[in-house]
Amino acid sequence: MPTSRRTFAVAAVAALVLPLSACGSGGDGAGPADASGKVEGDITFQTWNLRANFKPYFEGLIADFEKKYPGTEVKWVDQPGEGYADKISADAAGGTLPDVVNVSPDLVAPLAKAGLALDLDKAAGQYEKEYLEGAWASHRIPGMDGTYAFPWYLNTGPLFYNKSLFDKAGLDPEQPPRTYDEVFDAALRIAEKTGGDTATLANVPTIEDFGRYGVPLMNEEGTAFTFNDAKGVQLLTRYKELYEAKALDSQALTATPESSGKKFLTGAVAMNPGSALDLANFKKQAPNLYKNIGITDQITSTGHVNMYVMGLMVNAQSRRTPAAVAFAHFVTDAAHQMSFAKQVAIFPSTAGSLDDPYFTKEDGTDETRVRVAAAKSLKGAVNYTPVLFSEQMKTELRNEVAKALQGKQSPQEALDNAVKACDRLLQQQG
Amino acid sequence: MASPTVPGARRVRRQLPSSPWLFAAPGLLITGAFILYPFVSTLVNSFTDRRTLVPGEYVGLDNFRELLHDDMFWTGLRNSTLYVLGVVPALVLLPLLLALLVQKNIPGITFFRSAFYTPVVASIVVVGLIWVWLLDERGLVNSLLETLGASPVGFLSDQWLILLSAMTVTVWKGLGYYMIIYLAALANVPRELHEAAAVDGAGAVRRFLTVTVPAVRSTMVLVAALSSVAAFKVFSEVYLMAGPSGGPAGEDTTLVMLVQRTGTGLTGRVGYASAISVVVFVVTVALMLLVLRADRKEES
Repeated sequence: MPTSRRTFAVAAVAALVLPLSACGSGGDGAGPADASGKVEGDITFQTWNLRANFKPYFEGLIADFEKKYPGTEVKWVDQPGEGYADKISADAAGGTLPDVVNVSPDLVAPLAKAGLALDLDKAAGQYEKEYLEGAWASHRIPGMDGTYAFPWYLNTGPLFYNKSLFDKAGLDPEQPPRTYDEVFDAALRIAEKTGGDTATLANVPTIEDFGRYGVPLMNEEGTAFTFNDAKGVQLLTRYKELYEAKALDSQALTATPESSGKKFLTGAVAMNPGSALDLANFKKQAPNLYKNIGITDQITSTGHVNMYVMGLMVNAQSRRTPAAVAFAHFVTDAAHQMSFAKQVAIFPSTAGSLDDPYFTKEDGTDETRVRVAAAKSLKGAVNYTPVLFSEQMKTELRNEVAKALQGKQSPQEALDNAVKACDRLLQQQG
Repeated sequence: MASPTVPGARRVRRQLPSSPWLFAAPGLLITGAFILYPFVSTLVNSFTDRRTLVPGEYVGLDNFRELLHDDMFWTGLRNSTLYVLGVVPALVLLPLLLALLVQKNIPGITFFRSAFYTPVVASIVVVGLIWVWLLDERGLVNSLLETLGASPVGFLSDQWLILLSAMTVTVWKGLGYYMIIYLAALANVPRELHEAAAVDGAGAVRRFLTVTVPAVRSTMVLVAALSSVAAFKVFSEVYLMAGPSGGPAGEDTTLVMLVQRTGTGLTGRVGYASAISVVVFVVTVALMLLVLRADRKEES
């Protein structure tokens, strides 16, 4: 029967196409842009690889919130660390972004530009004074007005070094280098004394290294990169010197943080950046290294260390904006950040929290020594990673740096090319 | 006696023409959703400047023009082509020799057949990481070389050695799979042919070239086609050996790695990555046609 066939064909096509057309629809029924309404309803909260270690903490936190605001229900989802940005991309493109999302500043920028992050200056500006000034500002996007996430926890890492390798090279293990130039001198000395067998650094310089060396990374308007200036060229030239002297590991051009961490564990490199979490790892996996571990401040030539900021973004298309804002604030308020900091080696971004005796008094253990030193350095820390610096830009910089280290082009040419490529990507981001 | 009227029989008869469609519907839906739609979507996107969070606009052939001036695209094309040239001959020949070796029914041969097949079922990420540990500057292979008095080799730091190491892993992992295909083909080669050739005085090598190879030629073509498509689309092995940046200065990047790097993340250039995907598709189809054409020429 032609009619029934045609009807069936239309139905089949509709069945095929309709679910697919929903894929890119996004949320068209955005909720209120301010948080002044009643705190009620169901919201979804997404964290970044935290369930495995902190499940009881978050379950307790959610129960407390639901008790404080009857009529609310928080669904907690956790995503693995690997591919987190891709997961957010898929959710954002599919209109299924959770109401409250754990983000870093570089993840917020594209979401804010796409109109998916709530401007907290407008929706929750009254909370700004509760946070450290620098932490609140870390989720501002150059070229845009507003702040797009609550600052959550901060982190900064000490620099670990292998005292026995320092000793072998005739360097004083109790006087570790503190600035880049001191690191470079020590690295060349170690390479020379060990006949090139021991490298000091395992990674090529990143954008944060350029920042901590004192290189201006972007212009004031945030419209162009500037790390190809004389200071940037000087830094890359010194790294090239290290690479040629085998003071920079020969596999540095393809290294990842994980691979360089392993090199440090096996004594193949003398220094490696890390966090307070690494100490337990050293104790368990490399007891000999642990006996010889030296801990010093992050290397910086500006006097300011780098800090990593985690934030909680509120989905601008949430249908439960008051509840989402209230929950994001609840998780990041001083009391809850403090209790989270006691669970794991992170630091609160709330004003005054770093003056708590927990962050100022040592008890003689390495753990508290690292914690107190890190908390102290965080007070003047800077988030050197430009919020607009995307993964693609990191790859461009890394590749050009590698070409310079291999001698395929001069440091100046390499940085000029990197800046050109990053500027092009910046323009394409819109 | 007239046959009793079955209630609803007329309705059933009327629905019959649609029945094949109903049976095919699940398959059609799956094919449409996971093959046809992504394919058409990629094709459409390749003519736009779409980004992850921005729908983008029609830009004509701009993405393809940009490809022509993108050094990394040419690097990717070079590496993917080299991968085909390095891997395919090995995967056509070595599994055949392995199949000949394990074809004989001698005691304990099942163990060897299983052992050769094991890498096929192992996760590529796991075996890739094991190979990375083996080939590290301070890994097992270099330690052995040093014990023998040789200098360590930069398997994972030299651009060409990284590619060669990845090819080795691909060949090692694929041997068992293609060996099974060859074993099935060899089982159909009449024993009489070998016996007749032996009576005529043909040695093992001559019997291999004049009896075995012609008999399994169509299987060799199949293996060449399958392995060349897989080799051109290589991702995991090179990603694990060369790291996310694609080796020193990205010199080991393959086309699929470039698609992943360009098109993913919150700032991914979906339009441009789609254009690279279209090129990968065209080259893959061309490779298949080339292999099949070579086979037809040989046959005629």
